Amino acid sequence: MPLTGGTSVVSAPSALALFLLVASPGRAEENAGGSGDATKTESADRFSVSARSETYLELYEQALVPGPNGTLVPTELAAPIHEYLLANAQDLDTPWDTDSVDLEFAAWARLWPTKSDMERPFDGDVQTASVRYRKGPAWVRLGRQHVAGGAARFGRFDGVMVGASHAGLFAEGYGGFTVLPRWNERPGYHELGEAEDRLLLYPGPAPERPGYWLAGGRIGYSTPRLSGSLSLHEERRTGDVDRRAIGVDVGGRPMDDISVGASTLIDLDGLDFADTRVFIETTPHRLVDVGAEFSRAVPGLLLSRQSVLSVFSESNYDEVGGRVTVRAQPWLRFEGNGFLVAYEGEPGARGEVAARLSVDRRHPTLARVAYARLVAPENGYQSVRVSLSRALSPRIATTLEAYGYFYDDPIGGSSTSSLYSGTATYRVIDPLELLWGASLGHSRFAALDAQTMVRATYSFDAPPPARRR
Amino acid sequence: MKAEKRTGGGLGLALLVVAVAASAILAACRRNAPPPEFSHKVHLSGIACGAPGQPECLNCTSCHSPAERDDANRLPEQSACDGCHRDVAVTQAVLATAPERPHGVIRIDHDQHLQLPAIQGQCLPCHAGVVDAKSPPMPPMSKCFGCHEHEVQWERGECTPCHERQDLAQTMPVTFLKHDAAFLRHHGEVMAQKQQALLCQSCHTQSDCQSCHDVTQGLSVEARRPEKIESGQVHRGDFMARHAIEARAEPAKCLTCHTPQTCDSCHAARGVSANVANARNPHPPGWVGTDTQSEDFHGTSARRDILACAGCHDAGPTTNCIRCHKVGAYGGNPHPRGWKSARGTDAEMCRYCHGS
Repeated sequence: MPLTGGTSVVSAPSALALFLLVASPGRAEENAGGSGDATKTESADRFSVSARSETYLELYEQALVPGPNGTLVPTELAAPIHEYLLANAQDLDTPWDTDSVDLEFAAWARLWPTKSDMERPFDGDVQTASVRYRKGPAWVRLGRQHVAGGAARFGRFDGVMVGASHAGLFAEGYGGFTVLPRWNERPGYHELGEAEDRLLLYPGPAPERPGYWLAGGRIGYSTPRLSGSLSLHEERRTGDVDRRAIGVDVGGRPMDDISVGASTLIDLDGLDFADTRVFIETTPHRLVDVGAEFSRAVPGLLLSRQSVLSVFSESNYDEVGGRVTVRAQPWLRFEGNGFLVAYEGEPGARGEVAARLSVDRRHPTLARVAYARLVAPENGYQSVRVSLSRALSPRIATTLEAYGYFYDDPIGGSSTSSLYSGTATYRVIDPLELLWGASLGHSRFAALDAQTMVRATYSFDAPPPARRR
Repeated sequence: MKAEKRTGGGLGLALLVVAVAASAILAACRRNAPPPEFSHKVHLSGIACGAPGQPECLNCTSCHSPAERDDANRLPEQSACDGCHRDVAVTQAVLATAPERPHGVIRIDHDQHLQLPAIQGQCLPCHAGVVDAKSPPMPPMSKCFGCHEHEVQWERGECTPCHERQDLAQTMPVTFLKHDAAFLRHHGEVMAQKQQALLCQSCHTQSDCQSCHDVTQGLSVEARRPEKIESGQVHRGDFMARHAIEARAEPAKCLTCHTPQTCDSCHAARGVSANVANARNPHPPGWVGTDTQSEDFHGTSARRDILACAGCHDAGPTTNCIRCHKVGAYGGNPHPRGWKSARGTDAEMCRYCHGS
């Protein structure tokens, strides 16, 4: 098991959870493939365990780019090794209850063996380490977790979340210390724009974590036909308000082939709608999907309320558009989407059309060609993306891709950029899969950009059985 | 590395397009021997039966016994065919080409369901597709939801009574919460309407969300999954070259996952930030001046795209903007017309400008 461990942020409960998860796959497998009797018995804990390791070996050169007027800059060899570990167990029994506990753990670590002015020799983080206990219609989750959707948008925290539901009604509440961002911990990082024009060289003094916390909750009603929620989220940074918002989300399926939804985020500090969306998706014909949407955002209100810049602008960003998918044949599909945008009166547009071809059941082959156009306020581009994948055998699959971008106005003197990439995947044994990938590209930043990577994925749990007939 | 303008990329791209198209056409032209097809319709209604000298009429249970357990393979035995069909090789081939179960095994007590008033012992109300080409052979999940019991299970996100857990990871919803391109765009809104910790996490782990949304992880999801050629993730391709255009095109979209500090840390680490040593001023002449109506005046740009400013200057309440714009300074009132706030000027952040 290629565990590289964690940094100091790996907590004891996390390590315990990891041990519990990967130590008993045999038992889980035995139970998962058991008698097939859906009836639970007190003597057999029918839990499921899934654990996976992903190891990435990369090789490329990098530099502080570009030099002034395209001058050569010194490059450094990069060969980082990343390790991701993901594990979860569900429906574990407790002595007093069955199928009531779920565990989840996810972490990454990075080793940077070559000398670098930009990266640390070793880095890593725990992404998730949580345990959930369910009892009837209620549940509670402890540990490092995230909250998403509604007023919260997306937030990671170390804390507790509780929830309960009854007769379609549900309520959730959460609170804890915010998982602090790590991007300001890069070596050589300078925070800009200080009033005194100071350069703050990080890592500076460690933030006082008690000043960074979030809390919130949701109440809602959910059935397959109709659902909606009202949410409240507050986030503090250095003790003062970072975000304080109310979210309203509603959706429904008035008919089998029509879905509608709407959402809005109200910033309670700016007393305005920060983000509003309305959409409809429908299938007017069994071969055709059509969707339309409108959205309006006020980007300034999405900034931290600790930012002075958040009170300098209330410009709107409006967008209206739609998409269509036509399944012309079982093996041929056409896709298209287009949006008109207006940002403080300046028009823009973007859209894409694509054709997707899928053939050969024995050696599944997929080809996709897409053309996209983007018109933004100061520049735009056309792009072509060509993709091909083919399974050469049940164990070997390959992909090829090409991207080409053609800019309306040159960027740094270059009007085009392109990237060619390919992968080959080989399932060595059922739990172990190897992927080799490589890419070549050119852009304003590099006349030639060459990268390669090997990924080894190992699943500790048995893979799902083949589709039964 | 050397930055220079090149024109060879177009030719290379064209060659690859041709190669990919040729490969796809060749693959499409390959013909495998068509598998034998079994016609339920012929067997149920297309065979003369029941009269003297004719075979016994068939119904569903002639071949499919309503087994007590659904983990059994419910295909008929070879012997069920042998009464009429002499060519064993053909019947074996037909049995071997039974339709796949794209959503794995569905645990269902057929005997119990056949006794329901809405079904009245008939198989076709659910499996109409075996005789009607317009209907699927396996009932969609929406069919199951006509029953109140299943709505309760849905509400709690309990999929495993009917689905096998190992199947869930590969079972894409096709009726409710259909996971198509539109869903990818709206999944945040949809998730907010549901009990995400129960419903979404019936199939997904938190790690699935963080694969994309945890922007502090070592590798982006695009780098981790290069073989996903159909993904529409925004950072694929040469995102480095076009990221400024993308940010201008959809300014709020970046804030879904990033904060302005993300821009700044990356720029600084790569030596292209305006505030590293010996950096050039990126702003045009007239950026700070008296012609406040000029397109190049910083206030005009700030009103139009405050996020672009935040990419470098978001230093919380102590940003260098306040040096000129605090109350009493010569920069004037920076708030937009009609601006309002729930906080008074004695709030901590406001005091940097409004304090004495």
